[in-house]
Amino acid sequence: MDYKFVPSVCPYCGTGCGVLFEVIDGKLVGTLPNKTHPVNEGKLCIKGWNMHEYINSFMRLKQPLVKAFGRFMKTEWDEAIRITADRFKEIIEKHGPDSIGVLVSAKITNEENYLAQKFARAVIGTNNVDHCARL
Amino acid sequence: MQAQVEQWLKEGKVDIFIGYKNIDGHVLPHFFTKENIDEVKDLVVGQAHYSLEKVATKVAVDHPDMKIGILLARDCNQRALHVLYVWNQLNPNHIQTMEAFEASSDLEQPEVTAPYKQKMGLGKSMLPKDVEAFDQAERFSRWMYEFSKCIKCYGCRNICPVCFCKECSLEHKDLVRAGNLPPEIPIFHLVRAVHMAGRCIDCGLCEEACPADIPLRLLYRKVDEIVQDVFDYKTGTNPDQSPFSVLGEKVVLEPTPINE
Repeated sequence: MDYKFVPSVCPYCGTGCGVLFEVIDGKLVGTLPNKTHPVNEGKLCIKGWNMHEYINSFMRLKQPLVKAFGRFMKTEWDEAIRITADRFKEIIEKHGPDSIGVLVSAKITNEENYLAQKFARAVIGTNNVDHCARL
Repeated sequence: MQAQVEQWLKEGKVDIFIGYKNIDGHVLPHFFTKENIDEVKDLVVGQAHYSLEKVATKVAVDHPDMKIGILLARDCNQRALHVLYVWNQLNPNHIQTMEAFEASSDLEQPEVTAPYKQKMGLGKSMLPKDVEAFDQAERFSRWMYEFSKCIKCYGCRNICPVCFCKECSLEHKDLVRAGNLPPEIPIFHLVRAVHMAGRCIDCGLCEEACPADIPLRLLYRKVDEIVQDVFDYKTGTNPDQSPFSVLGEKVVLEPTPINE
């Protein structure tokens, strides 16, 4: 018997609503809005209300997939990052750094967004940086 | 209060106590157990508005014989428990309650309604009789204005302490198919209003959870008014049978004709 409420932040959009996860015996069973959170003041949208469903979904992707021979293959993170880096190098050598663009997100933190643009400018060598919220 | 909860847990009067604890500056619901008895000193009441009864029903599903202690921070908590007893969601013999009313579920101060809402819709501090002062066409257009703001988060259903149906008609695959649009406005609101008859305990959590500021409490108050007129039944005032719980041996309340 292990019941607890875990305060957290909704991972869906950039708003950052406060949520409470209802955990029973190590399994997430429900989501509640945090009533005193300054962002959402006890309100949530339909995605936030049903967050526990996707976390427990059997469809959830828990491992990186690499497309090889027209099919997605399960692989480890090191392997996936190595393959991505090799392909990036190939593309940059063949078509130049401006053939790559980096799309950052509202769902990640400010610091992670900073790192992503740094990666684009300093590592890849392009100014092609854009953001999903810049509609 | 803390001393008594500690005593209850030590004596085994309750296996688990559902109360509130201050975590990172937020008063959040918390489970107090014998294993973590030191935490009981952090038990607080505060101005918390969570439905601990609903949490208790979830615990009772997994452990039907567990003795659960519940903190009653508002008067509506007691009414919610009564309704849950009536509908066999909780066993009153397994529930211990601790009253610590610091807040009332009534509106503390009437909210100032925004000018546009005043003109087009219905304010949260209105009573059913205030709405009835409008003629029928205006009442309809005002309600439709309110319902049309709905963003379909269904938070009102999710937060409701007396919404416990195992199979919600909103999730029934024959009624609302996956991949199809949810029910049109105002079908959901009116169906829910009808389901609230004899169940709504007027706690106001639905209205607090509504991101679109729909005066849901006003709607359910009107429904409750009709229930009182027809059945002479005040929801949540006693743990006996309700006129809507058809299961059981005896009918306790006969319907009376509506006085026109």
